Parts: sequence; structure tokens; C-alpha cells
Amino acid sequence: MTTATGKIEPGGRARSATPARRPIEADRLGLVGLGLLVALVVIAVAAPLLAPFDPLARVRVPFARPGGGHLLGTDDVGHDLFSVLVYGSRVTLVVGVAAAAVATLLGTTVGLVAGWARGWVDAVAMRAVDVVLSLPFLPLMIVVGVFLGPGLRTEVLVIAAVMWAGPARELRSQVLSVRERDHVQAARSMGASHARVLAQHISPTVVPIVVPQFVLAAKRAILFEAALSFLGLGAASTPSWGTMLSTAQARSAFLTDAWLWWVVPPGIGIAVAVLAFAFLGHGFEERTRVPSRHRGMAARVATSPTSGPAPTTPPSPVVPGQDRGATSISAGRDGRGEDRLVVDRLVVTWPEARDHRAVDEVSLTVAVGEVLGLVGESGAGKSTLAAAMAGLLPARAEIEAGTVWFSGRDLLATAPRARRRLWGDRIAVIPQDAADALDPVHRVGAQVAEAITTHYDRPDEVVRARVTDLLGRVGLDPAHATAWPHELSGGMRQRVVIAMALANDPDLLIADEPTSGLDVVLQAELVDLLASLRAATRLSLVLVTHDLPLVLAMADRVAVMQQGRLVEVGSVATIAHAPRHEHTRALLAAVPRLPRNVVQP
Amino acid sequence: MRAVMSRVAQSLLVVIVATTLNFALPHLAPGDPVEYLYQGSAGSLTAEQLDDLRAGYGLDASLPEQYVAYWGGLFRGDLGVSVQHNRPVVDVLLERLPWTLLLVGTSTVIAAIVGTLAGAFAAWRRGSRGDVGLVTGVLVVDAMPGFWIGMVLVAVFAVQLGWFPSFGAAALGGPTAGWAAVAAVAHRLVLPMTTLVLATVGGTFLLARGAMSTTLGETWLAMARAKGVPPRRLATHHALRNALLPVATTLGLNVAVMLSGAVVIETVFAYPGLGSLVYDATIARDYPLLRGAFLLVTLGVVATNALVELAYPLLDPRVRRTGRGRS
Repeated sequence: MTTATGKIEPGGRARSATPARRPIEADRLGLVGLGLLVALVVIAVAAPLLAPFDPLARVRVPFARPGGGHLLGTDDVGHDLFSVLVYGSRVTLVVGVAAAAVATLLGTTVGLVAGWARGWVDAVAMRAVDVVLSLPFLPLMIVVGVFLGPGLRTEVLVIAAVMWAGPARELRSQVLSVRERDHVQAARSMGASHARVLAQHISPTVVPIVVPQFVLAAKRAILFEAALSFLGLGAASTPSWGTMLSTAQARSAFLTDAWLWWVVPPGIGIAVAVLAFAFLGHGFEERTRVPSRHRGMAARVATSPTSGPAPTTPPSPVVPGQDRGATSISAGRDGRGEDRLVVDRLVVTWPEARDHRAVDEVSLTVAVGEVLGLVGESGAGKSTLAAAMAGLLPARAEIEAGTVWFSGRDLLATAPRARRRLWGDRIAVIPQDAADALDPVHRVGAQVAEAITTHYDRPDEVVRARVTDLLGRVGLDPAHATAWPHELSGGMRQRVVIAMALANDPDLLIADEPTSGLDVVLQAELVDLLASLRAATRLSLVLVTHDLPLVLAMADRVAVMQQGRLVEVGSVATIAHAPRHEHTRALLAAVPRLPRNVVQP
Repeated sequence: MRAVMSRVAQSLLVVIVATTLNFALPHLAPGDPVEYLYQGSAGSLTAEQLDDLRAGYGLDASLPEQYVAYWGGLFRGDLGVSVQHNRPVVDVLLERLPWTLLLVGTSTVIAAIVGTLAGAFAAWRRGSRGDVGLVTGVLVVDAMPGFWIGMVLVAVFAVQLGWFPSFGAAALGGPTAGWAAVAAVAHRLVLPMTTLVLATVGGTFLLARGAMSTTLGETWLAMARAKGVPPRRLATHHALRNALLPVATTLGLNVAVMLSGAVVIETVFAYPGLGSLVYDATIARDYPLLRGAFLLVTLGVVATNALVELAYPLLDPRVRRTGRGRS
């Protein structure tokens, strides 16, 4: 099982356990960057061959327009601008790379030493980093540069002097984390010298960080070089793109037609050089980044799910699909009441693994007032199925076949707006990590109130009274309504989320591990609360859980899932005492002591 | 309270380092400090005149004494005399300050708003054509030097199209009071401000995009969606509201970036702020003025940083209680 690990959230987000595929675009972008860089290096090296004139020789009248062998005309002295442009690539590359190299080397050294020595050395070094990072870079470079006098060496020095701090901070945190790893600890306890540990164990893990840091530093150094040259702090005798623009500025060339051949080309040169390093850096970054668990989430939440097959038949049948596939198992209704939820031969896949069905031909019913336990191992597809039951499957998930009927309407074919009116009102969800399900910047009471006001236009005092009532029902002091989420314990937050789910007396509640993280007393209270709700409001409850004893205590029927399929559905008594499927037996065997006394069919 | 104290201590440290650096520069740089303080013409003076100058600048005292005297001068608001303008540095700086405040202030606000909204939008539509277009655009614009963007904008919109004046902050001989004057100033502000925003908005955009992507993956956002909250409210009230937090912490740093950008961009537009003053002082090697400008800019950056950080708890309830969650 590689997809849809046992974790459900209201967004039906099943987290993929497969390693995230590296975006191909990042690699391609890195290659483009490399290509641009190689091209620039070739131009810089072959400048004498490419440039038709000596960039420092007066070859024509000043301010000449392009033509007569001068592709870009001439500058204020009579230099051939095209030749200056070609030679200018040298300064950009040399200063950019040299300054970045010095800055990275300095930063790496400081970071390594600080992270390794810790204590006061680290404190002093990091203070210095903080100070440098909070100074205004360019004014600092200017004031130092003016005192050192213009020139390439000054440029490299001042750029490196302000840019070492970033790499130093990155490197230090890397060293701090690496030095606590087991094999490093072991090497040190075996008496390996500092130098040896640094060389053998620390350095290899640091290199993947140093390289991107260097690339990013080079990118910024090129821009700084351009600005310094523009301000007249570059080498006057060496042609560079920055000084080209500086003279264009001083001679107001950009106020005439000359901007096209004097101003635009060097700017494009600088931008290309910066982009080359930016793309390279992007490529490196994607290569070394830990796969983000949030990648692609945006699309999931942002686009309201509209997937799903077009409505096939009007929502009439109570038991749809009489001829079930050989692999699916009838939900085995016990003939009580009407159905609130009908899942009919549902097939769902995730884009991470299109050939693997997270939910495979599942058919299932939940009657009004019924409690259905949905059990199975992690990754069995419980989460995906639960999300599909709520109509909360994200757009990425593909519903290849099947339908979900909620109170007689085809949930998957319902328009997003209409479906949204059901969520939180008729269909409620308690996510697995409920303690994280509160927005950290809004007060608890306001978030419970939002569940009500989203669906009903009520006066404030009515809403407030309802919030007070709800908090009381989940055993919380109503005074907590004005608390921020971070001021409550995990268990308290979880109860707030339960209160939110119950806010509008839903018809169907899908709860994923609602008791996990609660202590035994609270678990019992919650079970009582759900039982009383069920009696009072004929709530249908789907209990997704690993906790088999809980299911046997609360549920009317149990559905057992394995590898996306429903392998057994039956009453609690049947499942507990006469399980037919071997997987059910295995799950039951895994329960340490089956509390037989609570099983009263 | 402890967080506030440590924040203030950190700011003071930066100011002390900047000031000390400022004091040390003429002594560290090659040549006689008098050269730097007296505009490079000391070579033409006699030995007695040089000694007089040294005494005049207090350079005959020991370094620690000079250092103390330097601080004393700072507290009296004495930053020396600008060689180029032949007036106290403080006066010259204060005269230029309002224009830079106007330019950097408006640009910071606009860049923050535009960058955040565009970044949030890109994250919301992550992978869409709009997102890819925005990210590409930001990468390309970020690769261009700010002053070059300014030169091109001037060439196109001021010279070729004639929509905007190409230089200055207020029309010479134009209206000096009333709405007409405000309109004239605003008209001349458009191009430099656009340049500064373009040159600096990329960082905020990428940060907002990343922060928004993170919030969109949070359990609480999925829960809000499961409550039936409509997409627009999800985006603003929940996702964007949370994504603002990391963006807000960098607002102070943005001011430093903005001021750096203003130095070169004001030059292109001959905008009469601190930036073009620094440029002119650089060209003229007006050392006292440069040192004063650097100190003023540093103070501005440090103060903004501290203010932004101290105001941060207003946005984030988790750090609102004393000392909670802050190192």
C-alpha cells in the first residue's frame, strides 16, 4: 500500500507515502541556467575573437548611431559599444563569481566553526550575522567602497563583506543538526579528532548546502556589481555592463534614441547572467529539498471538486446496483429504516498512483440513526472512502466509477455551491488530527460561531448562546469561547472541533479517530455524547478508526477494508463472533483482549 | 517584556556597530584621515595648515578620545560639515529626507500589498497558467538591476510617450500649494515609485506565495472548508490572514532593500532624496556627507525593523502573551 495512508482530513487529503516526484520543470530550468552560463563564459573567454574592436580604443566619433560596422554605435568617447558589451561580460562573471566565492568561503568557515564550537563562539558569530543582515547593504557597500577607492578588488571585497552572513547562518544550522546524528556522536565518542569528524562526517553533508548558497550569492553579487559600477565604484579602465550604464546615465543617453543600443543591451546582459544563476539555483534547490508534504495542496483546496461522473440515474433507488461486481460485497443492510448514505460501486484513484485503486468497487450503506464502524489497516483506503462519503474528495482524486447518494441526492454530481451548503450543516466531519483543526489566529468561539453563521443568518446573541451550549455539550467551560487555540490543550481543541462539527445538528457525521489523544474518561464522555446525539437527532455516524474495541462498543455494523476493497460487512455480533474473512480475523486477533462484555448484539 | 528588551538591545548593537564603523572608516582607509575629512585637497596645504586642520578636527587626540568625541558630536546632532554643500551634514540630510520618506514609504506599502495579493493569488491557483506567468515574470524582473528598469521606464514613458516628467520631484515654477501641487508631486512620483516597486516586489511575492501554499495545506483550512465556508472567505479570512504572518516579519527588512534600491533609482530620476544625495556625494567624494547619510539610513532601517517586530504580536495571537514563543 503506497497511497492514501490512514489519514483523513476534511479535505479528504490522503497523504501519499510515495516519494514526491521531483518536478521535471526544475531540472529543465537548471539545465537552461547551465546553458546560459556556459554561453556567457564562452562569450567572455572568446571576447577578443567576437569583439570587432578594442573596447578601450577610440574607433569613431563619439555618440555615433549604429551602422558602418558598429552594431551598437559608439559611446561618449568613441568606443565601439558592441565591443564594450562583449568584453563587459568578463567583469560581470569575474566579480560575480569571485565575490560569491569569497562570501561563501567566509560564510562556510564561520558557520562551520560556530556550529561546531557552539557556546560563546557561536553566540558572537551569530550576533555578528544578525548585525550584518540588518544593515542596509548598498549604502554600506558605498560608504566602504568610497573609502577603499574604486576598482574591481574593492567591489569584490565590499560585496563579500556584506554577503557572507546568509551562508554562515545556513551552514551553522546544518552543522548543528548533523553533529547530533548518531554516527557523528559515535565517531566523537570513539575519540576522533575535531578535524577528522569535520572532514569525514560533517563536510559531506555540508556540500549540498554550500553549492546552492554559492549560486545564490553569485546571482546577487552580479546585481550588486552592476549597482556599484553604476555609482562609479567599478574599475574605470575595465569595460563592464555597469559602467556602460553609468556613462549612459551621466551622458543622459537614455533621454535620446541611444537608449535602444546603449542602455537596453547591457541591462539584458545583466538580467541574463542573473537568470542563469537563478535557474541553476532553482535546479539545485529542487534537487536537495525534502519533499514538501504540502506540495500541490493549493490546487486541492482551491478548486472546488467538480470531478465525478455525470449523474446516471435520478436519486431514487434505496439499494442501487443490484448486480454487484464479483469483488464487491453487499453492504448487507439489516432492513432497518431508510438509507441516509449509499455508496455504489465507487472507484477512486490518486494521481500519485493512477494504476492503484485507493477505493476499489466499494458499495456500502448507512441507515438513518445508524453507527457504522469503518476499520482497516493504515492505507487500506478508509480515508479516501470517508472523504468520498462526505463529498469532500479533492479535485485531484479521480472518481473513476460509482456514485455516492446522500439522502437521495447524487453527492458527487451536486454542484459545488449546493454541496458546500451540505458541508457543516447536513454533513459534518471530525478530522483525524482534530487538535490541529483550529485556525490559530481566530478565537475559538468565533470559529464555532462561523460553523453556524456560514449556514444560518441568526442574531449575534442567538449564535453566542448556541456556542455556549455547544461548548458545554462537549464538556468545555463556555468561558473558553474567548480563548485562542494555542491557549487550549490538544484534548480541549479536539473537543472544540467536535462542537464545531455538531453545530448544526448534522444528519451524517464522519469522524476519523475521534477519540485518539483523549484520555479514557474523555473517551467515555465522547462516546456517551455521540450516543445521546444519535438518540436525539437520529444522527448517522461513520466511525473511521483503528480502535476495534471502540467500534465494537459503539457501532451497529462494521465494515472492514483491505487494500481499497470492502472485505467484510456485518453486524457487530457477526464481526465479533463469526468473522468470515481472514483479514477481519487478523484484525480481531491484533486486539490485545477483546472486551466481550461490551459486545451485546 | 523580555522579548522587547532583547529586541531593543539587538537594535542598539547594530547602531553601535554602524557608528563605530563610520568612525573607523577614515582611519582604516589608506592615507591620512585629514585627506578624507578635507576633501582630498590636503596635499596642497602646508604642514602647519595640516596641523591646524588636525587640531580643528580633533585628530591630534588619541583614538579613544576621538571616539568619545565622535559620539558626543552625534548626540549633539553634529555630523560634521558637508564639503560639497559647505553646510552642516545634518541640515543637508534633513532637507532631503522627506522626499526619500515619500518615495520609499509609498513604494514599501504598494510593494507589500501588490506582492502579498499576487503571491496569495498564485498560491491559490498554484500550477495554473496565471501562477506560472506570475512566477516567471517575477524571476525575470528580479534579474534586472533596479536602476536599469528605471532608465527603460524613463526612455519609454517619459521620453518616447511623454506621459510623465523624466526627472525631479516637484515641477519647477509650478504650483507650490493646494491640490495642484499634490497632483504635480504625485505625477512625478509615479515612475520612480513604479521602478522601486518592480525592483523589490519579487521577494514579497515569493514569500507570500510560499506562506499561502503552506496555509492551504493546513488541517484547519480543510476543516473550515468542511464547515461549508465559501472559497472567498476561506482564501481571505483563513488562508491569507495566516499567510500574512511570515510576510509581515520581513516588512522591516524590505525597508532596507527599498533604501538600497532608492540610492540608485533616485539617481536615475534625479529625485531630490537621500539616494541621489548619496550618489552626488560619492561622485564628489564628500566623505562627511556619505558617513552621515549611511548613519541616517542605518538608523532608519534599524528603527523600522524594531517597530515591525514589536508590532508583530498584533497580527499573531500566539506571541501576544509576554515572552511566549519568542526567543
